[in-house]
Amino acid sequence: MTDGTPPNDSLGELMRAAQQGDGASYRELLRTITPRIRQIIRRQRGFAGIAEVEDLVQDVLLSVHTVRATYDPARPFVPWLLAIVRNRLVDGARRYARISRREIHVDEEEVTFSEPEANDDIGDVEDAAALREAVRALPEGQRQAIELLKLKELSLKEAAEVSGASVGALKVATHRAMATLRRTLGKRRE
Amino acid sequence: MNTNDLIENLVRGLKPVAPLWRPGRRAVAWSVCAAFYLGILVVAMSAVRADADGVGMGFWVSQIAAVVTGLLASRAAFTSVVPGLPKHSRVWAGLAALVWLGTLVASSPWEFDWATVLAASHEWLCVGFIVIGGAPLMLVLAVMLRRGAPVNPGATAAFAALAVGVLANVGACLSLPHANSAITFAWHGGVVLALVSVAALAGRLVFGWNLARSPSIVDGGPRG
Repeated sequence: MTDGTPPNDSLGELMRAAQQGDGASYRELLRTITPRIRQIIRRQRGFAGIAEVEDLVQDVLLSVHTVRATYDPARPFVPWLLAIVRNRLVDGARRYARISRREIHVDEEEVTFSEPEANDDIGDVEDAAALREAVRALPEGQRQAIELLKLKELSLKEAAEVSGASVGALKVATHRAMATLRRTLGKRRE
Repeated sequence: MNTNDLIENLVRGLKPVAPLWRPGRRAVAWSVCAAFYLGILVVAMSAVRADADGVGMGFWVSQIAAVVTGLLASRAAFTSVVPGLPKHSRVWAGLAALVWLGTLVASSPWEFDWATVLAASHEWLCVGFIVIGGAPLMLVLAVMLRRGAPVNPGATAAFAALAVGVLANVGACLSLPHANSAITFAWHGGVVLALVSVAALAGRLVFGWNLARSPSIVDGGPRG
């Protein structure tokens, strides 16, 4: 070993090439480490869903990319990577705890227009224009939640990304919007 | 976004980067700059230099201990922003800080009353020197440290504050030499301890992750 690279550290060699701007080596490195990172995260966060695990994996990859200059080619790669994974897992847990404290959990309501139960009380609205008007009259946040989740049929996660609101806030807004629509359309029928 | 797409975006956005210098080398580079800066500050402050009589061997031993502490603390700070490095540099820096405080205690006559110690208003000049004079050093150190990985933000900030605090303390002591006493211990040690505590608490604000979530990486963005 004359260049200071630890013996048999193929990942370290790939990272060294990546530091020099070699895209092919970087792609190979990231594709090699991604399943290992995913495995570690699954082991540490057994309770996490697939989407949450994938979020953490992507967080680690972005972190590796951001601080790749801190890798010293003369040192083994794996301890460097594991330190980043551990740190991002701790940060992820802290973030999760913070969000859980802020979020209001509401019971799942039958709020999908395609569900028969959801249409029990507003499904018989004869005037579609009245429904459109009622939706238009909703406060901005509630209207956006209805449009994204019910009309465009986005998932909660997708709607959260588009609107910038949290999943919990969208759930609350949808719940309130449905209650308002029931009230508004109910009054119209009376 | 799909993880494979993210990988492709990261590869597309890849630019060559020079590996950071090793922590010891970065610590020496910063310490040399700090020595020049503090030297200039000490010379500039020579107009207010007090009578140096009574400054004995204990004074110089504590200054040497402070310089060693500053070097080791800056090395510990630079080590803390490199993932996967062993943590023993923090132990050495902590021990050096204890030795520095020990030299202050050992060379001080311990016949005093707290009222006198706390009423030593002339020490505000030293506090000002350490806090205000040390601010540019802290700024430079923070900029250098932010090039690393914020895997231990609290420890990074605490050791950075310790390095700046003890070296600025040396500058203050050389500008206004006086024999070590309980007053020096309480005021100089107290202000360094306060700086370290505040930095440890605020570390996460200064040294948080600043991930490259630019649209070109997260969404694919404009290509080519």
